[in-house]
Parts: sequence; C-alpha cells; structure tokens
Amino acid sequence: MVITARSLLHALAVHVALLACLTTAPSALAAACSDTDTKALVWLAKMSRSYREVAYQGVVTFQRGDDLQVMQIERSVDAGESHELLTRLTGQGAQVVRAAHPLDCTHPGQQLLQLGEQALAPECGLAEYYRFQVGDGDSIAGRQTVRIGIQPRDMYRYGYVLELDRETGLLLRIITLGRGDQILERFQFADLHYGEPLTPQRHVDTVHPARHPHPDLVDEGAALTAPWLVNWLPRGFTLTDSAAAVSARRTYTDGLAVFSVFLEQLPREMRPGEGVARQGSTTSYTRGMSLAGNPVLVTIVGEVPLNTARMVADSVRLVP
Amino acid sequence: MTEQLRESLSALMDDEANELEVRRLLGQLGEDEELRQTWIRYNLARSVISGQPVGRLSMDISQQVSAAVAAEGAPASGVWQRMTRPLASFAVAASVMTVVVLGGQQLYQASAPDAAAPVAATGVSAVGFVNSLGAVPLRASYGNQAIPELEPAARTAYRELARQRMYLYMQEHAEHAALNSPQGLIPFARVPHIEE
Repeated sequence: MVITARSLLHALAVHVALLACLTTAPSALAAACSDTDTKALVWLAKMSRSYREVAYQGVVTFQRGDDLQVMQIERSVDAGESHELLTRLTGQGAQVVRAAHPLDCTHPGQQLLQLGEQALAPECGLAEYYRFQVGDGDSIAGRQTVRIGIQPRDMYRYGYVLELDRETGLLLRIITLGRGDQILERFQFADLHYGEPLTPQRHVDTVHPARHPHPDLVDEGAALTAPWLVNWLPRGFTLTDSAAAVSARRTYTDGLAVFSVFLEQLPREMRPGEGVARQGSTTSYTRGMSLAGNPVLVTIVGEVPLNTARMVADSVRLVP
Repeated sequence: MTEQLRESLSALMDDEANELEVRRLLGQLGEDEELRQTWIRYNLARSVISGQPVGRLSMDISQQVSAAVAAEGAPASGVWQRMTRPLASFAVAASVMTVVVLGGQQLYQASAPDAAAPVAATGVSAVGFVNSLGAVPLRASYGNQAIPELEPAARTAYRELARQRMYLYMQEHAEHAALNSPQGLIPFARVPHIEE
C-alpha cells in the first residue's frame, strides 16, 4: 500500500491535535558558569529551539558499529504547529509521523536544554554534569558548523560531540562517546534543504504515529498491581512525563541522555541474576530479584552506561 | 517437521534466516501442521510478553501468514515484486523475532514446587520464554554449526532475557526519547522493527 505523506499528515492531524501539551518544568539549578559553558549552553538552547521551529528536509545516516541506516527526515511548520516525518530508506519500510505538535509544547528534555537561554543569569544547568568545549566543526551537508564537545563530569552518562548549523543551530551531527572516547553511535545529515518539504511518494508498509504522553490522560502502557518507585537517579535526571505510580514504565532524561525503567511482576520466584545486551549507545539491563517478597524483573533500556542502569535497578522499591 | 525446518524457524526468530530459508518456511507453513503450531506458540508467547490479548493476536497470525505466503507466492516480475517481497518476509520474521527457544525454566528456583511441569505443558514460562523445542540452549542460527554452550545456563538465559527485553521495550523507550533528547524522531532509528 502506498500512502503519501501528505494524506497521512491530514489524517493524523485531527487525531493528535486533540492532545494538549505536557509542560512539567524541571527544577532550575544554580551554579557558577564559565564563559565556555555559557557559550555552549546558549548554542544548546538555540539547537533545541531550531529543531522545533525550522522547516527542512534531508537525508540522514545513523550508524552503530557495522550497522548503517539511511533515513529521510522532513519537518514542516504551519500555524504554530510542526509536522515531522521520518522514513526508513534502508531495511524495514517504516515511517514515523508526529503531526500537529504545537511549537510552544516543550517537554522536560527540551526545557533542560533551553535553560541555557537564561545562562546570562547564574543558572548553569547541564554544565553541572557535563564539561563543554566550543570550536569550529566540519562542513556537513554543505553547511558550516560549530562543534560542541561534551564530556560527562561523572561516570553515569556518555560523552557527545555535537555539530550545529552555524546559521540555524540545527543539529547536523551527533556522535555518542563511551569510555575511552570509543564511538558508540553516529547520526549525521548527508543532505539538507531548508524550507517546506516537497514530500515525494515513497513505499512504506508500516506507518507509526509517534505518541505524545500527557499527564492528564490515562497512560496507554501496562499497569501493575503494586505502586513502585526509583530510589536513586544520577544527578540532573528528571521524569519525562507524569507516569502513574503503578505504571510499568518510568522514563528519565538529563536533556541529552534518556533511559526508561520497566518493572514486571513475576508469578513466582526466579533465580536472581542479571543480563546485559548492548547495541550502539543503548544498554538493556535486566535484573531478576525479589522486592519485599515479590518476585520482579526490572529492566533498564536507555542510552546510559551499564553501571548507571545497574544502580538504578538496584534502587527500585515497592511502595509499602 | 524436519530438523532443517526447526533450524530455519530458529534462525527466523533471531532474524538471521536468509531469503531462501524464509521462503522455504513460508512454503511449508501451509502444509506442515506441526510447524504451524510451533510458530503459533511462538507468537502466543510473544503476546504474553507484550501483554496483548491472545485472541486478537491469533487472528493477526493467520492474516500475517496468508499475506506473507501470498506475497511469497506471487510471480517475481518487475521492480515492485523485487521491492516488496523481502519486506513481506521481514514482516513475518519480525513477528516471531522476539521469542527465543531457550530453557527458560532454568531461571526458576529448583526449590519451587512443580515449577517446570506447568511450564512445559503450556510451552510458555512466566518470563516469556518458550520451550517448545525441548530446552535447547543453543542459537541454531550460525550456519549449520551448533555452538558449544560453555557458560552457566542461568547467565546465558539472563543475557537472552536482556536481549529480548531490549527488543520488546525499545519502541516505548523511543517514544519518550524522541520528545526529550535533541535528535527529534531519530531515537526511532534504534527500534529494530517499528510497530504501528
């Protein structure tokens, strides 16, 4: 079945526009900011805004180890709303659509990045957890870039190299760095055109409308019988949405890294243990354990080091 | 069901079946009742893992099977067929991919009374492992060479669990990552197979 992107956007716009917007404000953090930090934070804020406000289309590559994916990205802006489309050009013929996303709708991760706009004040946000370097970047997709080196100040997150369009602030390349500056994942534009997309027809067999979690709506995810909580988080991480206490999932972000915690209740005792699977910058850590006599399986899936996942899993508790 | 078909089915689940194996499996599914039942059990287990209602899923299976077989059976002529056929195969492969053949009960405490019996009867363990092929802790998908199992079974089983959970949860994680990290929809590129 061939579906044009435009007809899709029309069909979905009605559906998604009904959802209002999530506006949980993360707590502001105070710290002394160096000049470099300030410069980097202002760029990150610009990046976060440009990503939402600029219209463009382009071809991007996403590389993890030997695996290279090619995708088309389109973004249009119309009447205070953005429409986004990601089409896989290699492998599965799938498309992800986010239609009618209000421009003034910012989620906690973006809010953390946009704190930098107030960086002229002594608020230093991300610089508490990351060291920044700012310099000239490569030319990417024919655009001049500024390069922001980001190194974690603790062992709980990865490092990044970001390259942003000097004019628009759009993120054109992001490299995720593990221990010893090992490249875990690389995303970059191969081709980029600003302006409203032309939306050529492409063959896809799966179209997925991206979800938009909202605090006032019932979470469509699985629910458990027992409320639970995560007792420890690396500094700077905040909930991405207001998941119910019995929701099987919690997701946390520090603005750059995101991880999710999943809890499954097991019908009977299982041999305690842990297992790890990795792909690119993604860690999947599964731990079988008993919480107050209840056998559970805790899984962390996210772009954080194994140690972070293990410590978070360790801290999961049932609410008595 | 021949040994070769079992291996192909196992490879299909690990997304490592080649084009020829997928085609052969799809051809056999219509005729081999045992093979079909095994496959349906895999899908049932998958529905248990993902919390989907089982009734709805079994309908999906028959639809997917007939659609995939129809696509496979269509004469290959022109660009359209060449383009769509691998996709149809992949859709079938992906629908059974999350479930793995492994001795899942190994993780349950030896002390737990009659833990193994009900599991063996239903073929689905509590954590979603399927044991329909007789608890063979091997990935039969690297050519025809069986891989000697050197690690303790529990460790292998947990690693497999972590792999399955990554597959199972990646899309839900991506939904939130896409709204809270600077790359926009790109986190969906990490999802092995995007579901609607």
